[in-house]
Amino acid sequence: MAFNFNWSPLIADTSRARDMLTTALNKSPKPPIIVDDIIVTELNLGSTPPELEILEIGDLAEDRFRGIFKMSYTGDAFLTLKTKVQANPLNTYLSTKPDFASPMPLAAASGLTIPLQITLSDIRLSGFVILVFSKQKGITLVFRNDPLESLKVSSTFDSIPFVRDYLQKVIEEQLRVLFMEDLPAIIHRLSLRLFVPEYQELEAETEERLEGTHDSTAPIDPLLTPPQDAVDAFGNPIDASQILAQSLDPTSEMHASFSQKNMLRLAALSESQRTLSLFTPGIREVVFRAWAHNSDRPDSGTVTPGLTQSSLSRIQSTFGGVRSQTSSIASGSTGQDTYSSRPTTGSNYSAPTGLNLGAGRGSRQMHKRKKRVVDLRKSKDVPLSSEVNTPLHSTNVSDTSSIIPEEREREEELSTPPETPVQPSLHFEDEPSRLQENPTIASTAVEGLLPAASFLTDPPKFSKAKLKANSPTHLHDLASEKKERSLPSRSPLSHHRLRSSQQATSPLLRSLSFDKVSSLSSSGSKRPTSPPCAENTSASGGILEQAWMMKIANEIARKVEKEKNRERERERSRSRASQSSSKASATNAHGGLWPLEDELDAPPAYVA
Amino acid sequence: MLDFMENVQNAFYEASHWNLDNSYGALNATARALLDFQTPKGLRLQISSLAAPNFATSYTLGNVGVVDGSVSYLYSSLPLRRKLTSSDIDLHHVVKGYRHLQELRRPDERWWWEVWHNGKRVDRRDTLLYGRIFLPQSRLEALYLRRLTPTRQLRISAVSDSNLNNGGTILTLLQNDSGKYSTEYMYSTDSALMGIRGLYNFGADPRVSPTEPVTAQQVAEIVHGRFSAGAELYYGLLNKSGGISTGLRFTTLPNHTGFPYTMTLTLNPLMGNLSSTYAVKAGPNLALCSRFDFNFYSYESELQLGCELWRRRRSTEVDWAVKKLRPDWERPTRARDDDVSGILKARVDHHWRIGVLWEGRIKELLFTLGASLDLKKREQVFRAVGIELQYSS
Repeated sequence: MAFNFNWSPLIADTSRARDMLTTALNKSPKPPIIVDDIIVTELNLGSTPPELEILEIGDLAEDRFRGIFKMSYTGDAFLTLKTKVQANPLNTYLSTKPDFASPMPLAAASGLTIPLQITLSDIRLSGFVILVFSKQKGITLVFRNDPLESLKVSSTFDSIPFVRDYLQKVIEEQLRVLFMEDLPAIIHRLSLRLFVPEYQELEAETEERLEGTHDSTAPIDPLLTPPQDAVDAFGNPIDASQILAQSLDPTSEMHASFSQKNMLRLAALSESQRTLSLFTPGIREVVFRAWAHNSDRPDSGTVTPGLTQSSLSRIQSTFGGVRSQTSSIASGSTGQDTYSSRPTTGSNYSAPTGLNLGAGRGSRQMHKRKKRVVDLRKSKDVPLSSEVNTPLHSTNVSDTSSIIPEEREREEELSTPPETPVQPSLHFEDEPSRLQENPTIASTAVEGLLPAASFLTDPPKFSKAKLKANSPTHLHDLASEKKERSLPSRSPLSHHRLRSSQQATSPLLRSLSFDKVSSLSSSGSKRPTSPPCAENTSASGGILEQAWMMKIANEIARKVEKEKNRERERERSRSRASQSSSKASATNAHGGLWPLEDELDAPPAYVA
Repeated sequence: MLDFMENVQNAFYEASHWNLDNSYGALNATARALLDFQTPKGLRLQISSLAAPNFATSYTLGNVGVVDGSVSYLYSSLPLRRKLTSSDIDLHHVVKGYRHLQELRRPDERWWWEVWHNGKRVDRRDTLLYGRIFLPQSRLEALYLRRLTPTRQLRISAVSDSNLNNGGTILTLLQNDSGKYSTEYMYSTDSALMGIRGLYNFGADPRVSPTEPVTAQQVAEIVHGRFSAGAELYYGLLNKSGGISTGLRFTTLPNHTGFPYTMTLTLNPLMGNLSSTYAVKAGPNLALCSRFDFNFYSYESELQLGCELWRRRRSTEVDWAVKKLRPDWERPTRARDDDVSGILKARVDHHWRIGVLWEGRIKELLFTLGASLDLKKREQVFRAVGIELQYSS
């Protein structure tokens, strides 16, 4: 294996690097001898590239790289700095001493500032470098040890040995700091500018936001603006008032609705992924990436700034519920973690009650969920065992309910456990017209695709598409549709009773509720790319809850993972058989039966 | 405004007949008092007391950043009689302003200090011990002051702080003052800095008392001012670097008939720094000062202006009566500072950095209000604002 490093373009333009170096050098407190800003006037990387010896490669893909190098540099790079120094040694010496024991010279310590030009050359570096590259995160470069071996400092004061030695010492110290702390940051920022075009937009946007203008320039995200033909995540049309209500609800609700057009596109995309189709529908603002590990999935948010953490994780968890819940839970970032853990716990709770209601959102549902969390802790052992079998369905249902708030109340009263296939089939029978509709969506998606192997690159959208394409979608549609229909038929009394009981719970719990916590963590910890989310930082005090939830989520994830692995083995064999028949017809035939979902294979990217 | 403990130390110098002004280090004390005053930062409270003539305590509480404070104790073998309670403290003792130099005093004879009892000498050298600990920085300041002979004084000051190199520093200063001239030798443990300072006063030697009768010519030639010259030299043994400066001063003496003024000129030949100051006491309540710095190596120059204004209250009820008094009538003597409502100090330099200080006494509290401004930095004009309150009993 060989790497081709192209050194020459790096030499070409160093103006930006110069600026960054200037700011980096002036950031740390300067020794008293330097009385002015340090300005980098010249920076030349030289013609000799550093020698790199690959010691270890941890991860390698088209857009990712992680490795450890041994680097040695004996090139002809040089750097010229300009600053002003205090030439009076007595002045600098006294400036650091307490007045009380100072000799207090009358004028012997008066200052003389001299402009100074320093040239750093003959830089000898040798050290171990850890390099992590990912297209979304840019380049992260860390020195494992202090790489600076030697350095020649030539300055205006070369004739005065004391000053020369002092300068040499001070500059070496500063350079060590630069290499260990500042250079990684500089490189990271530079690489982000290079690889992530959104980065600059975002930078500008953040600045704007800092200035206090809550701009609605969200056109980066086509999903953010309320779509004309709004549907929820499962294809149900949402009327305008609902959209309004959702958009009033802060950020987390914003992305619950997608345009039907986008849904279809995503469905097509996911299908193309699954069927080796060459056709990939053009989706704007999307970076296609290779099949990724779960750990890389959180990155996806960087590519699609439009998707907030909440919508992302919801979709992912839904999807993960279908196939492998662990994948969403085990994802790396904290924000993701907390969020994806939510449906899990919800389902966890719902297992004993029989129906999952977990992921309902909106302030009314929040405290309810909180209560469930408490319940979970008490009866942890019991639900866990049952949950292992049923996380998938319950999660799905919960997400449906979360998107159409009215359903929740209705759902709550349903006692049929979701794992029984009877329930979905009931829906099916209830709603044959709906059933007819859905397969057409799915089938059009399938039909529009040519068989090909295209790298599916956008996990969130991909999962969305997946969601759409998979039969659970129909199931959700059915379920929600049915509930919507049946809701009026219910006695309004029970409805009210339920609502009042929900409202009775303390508002404190509401404030500590999950949505806020997770959105807080997601906005705070990472995700500079989802601006709407970042604004939602009002909530506080959910750290303990969050930590605990993460712990629980991880626990569940482990168990589910075990179960999944077993299931996968079974499914592999089964899915091969089912692959032959068209997916749409298969869905039709089974009528949204739960076992069918298990057959639907997740793409390898999401299998842990 | 001077710290209580500094005031006590000055009282000790006064009681032990030590002339603080007769030192090269105090050559431009006037200019420094008018131009280099410190503006307070944040809020600082000081409660202090001279519990006994030999013992003083002081407690400070400040809120610069975090709440910090200091506790200090002082012991003097010489009983201090100066009024130090904040209600009747002499404001001229605590407000550093124009220093009007007095005629040189003839140093005490050695035998004046001798005390004999039963055929034995029982006199002790006057000693001052002072310690101050800053919390929570855990920084300790200590001072040992001893009058070795009437013309000699030893001063050892030390700072112990974990943030400093070697955990602290000690400065030893041996001062000789024989009136006509004064010399100082110092050694600092920090980088083994050694220094020597000297000041020579031109004019009559105060030690030589005129024995011949004063002639008429001599009366006519009575000295109105004093011309002094001095130099200092430092050398750090460890870092092999040093510093040197020379200075001249002309100041008027109290028998000068016009307004008092002081001129100094200091030169640092190594660094090319030339500094001249001119301070004038334009009236009993007003002093003005200017300083011009020029570096003939880097051609950098700096100009600073400062003033000190004593504001006095007018008692309007008796003003008309006072006006009617004949000038040769003897006025009732009263405390000089009773009518002082405050002292304003202000300085400005050519970078438009301004420092303002308002000091005074309200009831029994001494207060210092200060602010430093930078007019060139539009976004942050006020750089520091502070108030200091002192109470002593």
